[in-house]
Amino acid sequence: MKLFSRTFTMLEQGLDYASLKQKVIANNIANADTPNYKAKDVRFKTALEQALAPLEAYGTNPKHFSFKSPDTSNFLVTTRNDTVYNHNGNSVDIDKEMSELAENQIYYNALVERLNGQFNTLKMVIKGGK
Amino acid sequence: MSIFQSLNTTASALTAQRLRMDVISSNMANVDTTRAKLVNGQWEPYRRKVVVMEPMEKGFSSYLQAAMDRSSVGNGVRVTKIVEDQTPFKLVYDPTNPDANKDGYVQLPNVDPLKEMVDLMSATRSYEANVTVFNASKGMLMKALEIGK
Repeated sequence: MKLFSRTFTMLEQGLDYASLKQKVIANNIANADTPNYKAKDVRFKTALEQALAPLEAYGTNPKHFSFKSPDTSNFLVTTRNDTVYNHNGNSVDIDKEMSELAENQIYYNALVERLNGQFNTLKMVIKGGK
Repeated sequence: MSIFQSLNTTASALTAQRLRMDVISSNMANVDTTRAKLVNGQWEPYRRKVVVMEPMEKGFSSYLQAAMDRSSVGNGVRVTKIVEDQTPFKLVYDPTNPDANKDGYVQLPNVDPLKEMVDLMSATRSYEANVTVFNASKGMLMKALEIGK
């Protein structure tokens, strides 16, 4: 029997996503005045993985390394190259970044609340409802 | 990847924006400086200084990721250099000035106070935006400490 249900792993993934997103937003806003900087974005990788065919390394020896990187991150950081928002080649839309910052904060806090709720439920079960 | 990376990123931006403000104040303070540099025995007025910024991609891993077409998050921003604006100096007719040439014209710095004020506003706004991001990141980290309480 599994004590920790899948809810925990899913919440954990959500928190991973939110903290990575926070890093990307922080970096975008930090570079809001940098010429030719292109804004970055995070997205879940699973849907993209099917679209992007993996590059296979040609190995003549079983000891050769493949191109696949060992990290199993589910997220992909992409760069927005298509839009130029500023005259100096910068594509950071500060209003969008600030609203995404607020959204991400609420999302993160909601996940933490839910995680705490799960732990409290578990605690209640362990204590037998006392 | 450190959990404090977003705070470091924001801190680098705060440093860069404050340097921008310092350079702007230097430009504003020297708006009438006619003797800034001695070139071939002749005094040259102050030249307006401009900050050049670039995204900070430090470390081997970020270069490797870029080479493997996997973009990294980035480490904030940094000031690469402070360059001098090469636009020509302003010429003002003032024969009584000790720095006037034989025709009575004085070279004044190529600082435009209006331009500097706009730059200053931009730097202030960016600084404020980064302070907001810093507080948001701090709030999230503090919230993470509450997990399991």
